Amino acid sequence: MEDSPDPIIEAYKKDIDRTLIRENLKLTVEERFRKAMAVARFADELRRAGREWRARRP
Amino acid sequence: MTNFEALLAALARNEVAFIVVGGAAAIAHGSARYTYDLDIVYERTALNMERLVSALAPYEPYLRGAPPGLPFFWDVRTLARGLNFTLVTSLGDIDLLGEIAGGGGYHDLLPNAVALEIFGSPCFALSISQLIRAKRAAGRPKDFEAIAELEAIQEERGE
Repeated sequence: MEDSPDPIIEAYKKDIDRTLIRENLKLTVEERFRKAMAVARFADELRRAGREWRARRP
Repeated sequence: MTNFEALLAALARNEVAFIVVGGAAAIAHGSARYTYDLDIVYERTALNMERLVSALAPYEPYLRGAPPGLPFFWDVRTLARGLNFTLVTSLGDIDLLGEIAGGGGYHDLLPNAVALEIFGSPCFALSISQLIRAKRAAGRPKDFEAIAELEAIQEERGE
């Protein structure tokens, strides 16, 4: 870690959800990638559903 | 969606010398931020570029965001003429980097990189310290949150 904390980074750090980090650190590297890909699949599905809804709008 | 597993397997199968950098390396270290592509720093030797070309050729690499129909040929000559390539493939997006700010090229990064096995494929990834240095050197406002998260990971690990 850097010796002298950067005040900008420290400000951003306050908003980091450490519960997500702690959960990820319990996983293996492979499980972290599988989780990330599952998130991506969900995001793709949300985008598809959004497109479909927009297309159906009168 | 980028198929990290298949891309890493293709690189490993062809014995490409590379280091995972960027968001994918951050995921390996525990980041909860999703990345849409696989970023790698590749060794710029003739043999390794041949291997890289062979590894990706079956997946139809093309310049990401470029209009279709450009005379882009995925071969060693193209790779040797450039340095960094942002590509789309049938397995997803991959960025091939000859070097990165704050880190240099493959041989500069390798001594401090971490050896991982991801989906059964051996590979190297930047260490958290290297990732932080690279993101600081990039100096983009969008990286501030990523740096903050990486430092938080270090703190959670007690480093």
